[in-house]
Amino acid sequence: AAVRCQQYPPLRALQASAALRRAPDEHKKEPLASSSQQHFDSPPAGHQPEQKPQGPHSSYTGQGGQESEDYESEEQLQHRILTAALEFVPEHGWTAEAIAEGAKTLGLSVAAAGLFHSDGSELILHFVSECNTKLSELLKKEQKLVQLGEAEKKPIDEFLRDAVEARLRMLIPYIEKWPQALSVLLLPRNIPSSLNLLTSMIDDIWHYAGDQSTDFNWYTRRAVLTGIYNTTELVMMQDSSPGFEDTWRFLANRVADAMTMSNTASQVQSTGEAVVQGLMGAAVTVSNTAGL
Amino acid sequence: EMHFGFQTVTEEERREKIYQVFENVAKKYDVMNDSMTLGIHRVWKDMLMHKMNPCPGTLLLDVAGGTGDIAFRFINYVRSVRQRQLQRKLKHHQNLSWQEIFESYQKDKFNSLGDSQVVVCDINREMLKVGKQKAQHLGYSEGLSWVLGNAEELPFDDDKFDVYTIAFGIRNVTRIDLALQEAYRVLKPGGRFLCLEFSHVSNPLLSRFYDLYSFQVIPVLGEVIAGDWKSYQYLVESIRQFPPQEELKAMIEDAGFFKVDYENLNFGIVAIHSGFKL
Repeated sequence: AAVRCQQYPPLRALQASAALRRAPDEHKKEPLASSSQQHFDSPPAGHQPEQKPQGPHSSYTGQGGQESEDYESEEQLQHRILTAALEFVPEHGWTAEAIAEGAKTLGLSVAAAGLFHSDGSELILHFVSECNTKLSELLKKEQKLVQLGEAEKKPIDEFLRDAVEARLRMLIPYIEKWPQALSVLLLPRNIPSSLNLLTSMIDDIWHYAGDQSTDFNWYTRRAVLTGIYNTTELVMMQDSSPGFEDTWRFLANRVADAMTMSNTASQVQSTGEAVVQGLMGAAVTVSNTAGL
Repeated sequence: EMHFGFQTVTEEERREKIYQVFENVAKKYDVMNDSMTLGIHRVWKDMLMHKMNPCPGTLLLDVAGGTGDIAFRFINYVRSVRQRQLQRKLKHHQNLSWQEIFESYQKDKFNSLGDSQVVVCDINREMLKVGKQKAQHLGYSEGLSWVLGNAEELPFDDDKFDVYTIAFGIRNVTRIDLALQEAYRVLKPGGRFLCLEFSHVSNPLLSRFYDLYSFQVIPVLGEVIAGDWKSYQYLVESIRQFPPQEELKAMIEDAGFFKVDYENLNFGIVAIHSGFKL
């Protein structure tokens, strides 16, 4: 293998730049200059955080910081393909075909869709993750405005309502094919990832809403908001009103319910305490009257 | 010095001997495949096609494709995907006028494969001849072409094909590294390399039965059905000489492919290796 290394490195550098492009603002660097002897077989690339059971994949250990900035890693390329594929989802659905079309726009062969599962799972997960990131940034911006004093701090129910609405609005361009996506997200193989994304999004919203609870409330709050989000999403799937106004009304009602429920819960607790005290008082009175 | 089955020969001799083997078996190739593998080779080839999951518009190069099994499957697959695509499109257009419907049916007739094409390349004239006859017999004509060529030196330009397959052929190539480099060369960026080949069985109990079957039954079948003991002896020996899964994976990576991995079929009797030109 060592002998082979020495014959082919020049080929390697050229071939590697075929689709794994250098970062656009970096000038062309000589990749062989910094590569050591035993790394001739490994293409200069960034880290390889693949979870697929491929075994120790020695080709992706980057040789140094410089290389990984210059060359796009495999994961970044996949990321780009999926982003390009989103544009074709309204027409082809969340399928390998949409991914193939996306790959075509990047100048790659349609066979690059083989990098992903044929049911479009990765495409959907990618989209959900992107939406969550966008939501986080939106909430962060709003928080900054409040901190700078340029905006009023919203009351909790309005904050939750706006956050969920903003997140659900991101689905509108893909709403026709979204039911298909939901069913794919529920496949056993995808549940860990999709659940992870859902819980971290809900967590994010509560964080920016100012929740700092450390007791059981933390769980209750997240469970309640998850319920609100999921039910509103389902309502949105079959909503045909103009501008989805039915969905937003449903959302407002659910959030109001949740607020009332928490008030009611504390009311019930105090009423319960009062009732118990009343019964105790009655029991004492009876025992006193009976001379016990 | 190379191996030809369990014999040692020079490179030239090996190429010649292998050419003769396939010249002899060409006519009975399909029959022998069915009897040796009890028809399971069809399932293996179907699984290869399923893994490829080609969409209409794909350009496939099937190397060592000889009698056309992969090529025909490709055409069938792409045709059915295309049909489903067209059906979906028609469903969307609910309110078409009769004129528009007529026009869309016209277009269908001329594009049932959606511009997909497969090129079958083989080094052996006899195998190609059998393949062409089969194609005629089964009615495959559109999107299919036959080219005589050597896997170590393909007669095609760079960056031409979407998918490169070599099914049960790479074992017979004398310089596998050259074949892999050629595969890399002719693939488009983003293109996929797929290799279906006999591989190594790690399960000791199964491998004993497999060895028994291979060395005792297959050459006998070869003699009885094809009248050629030696070719089938070569076949079985060449399977044992072929590098195991991990080694082949390393060779594919050496040629420049990314995301290389393999899938064992039937506990390693057969393996599908896949890589991408990125």
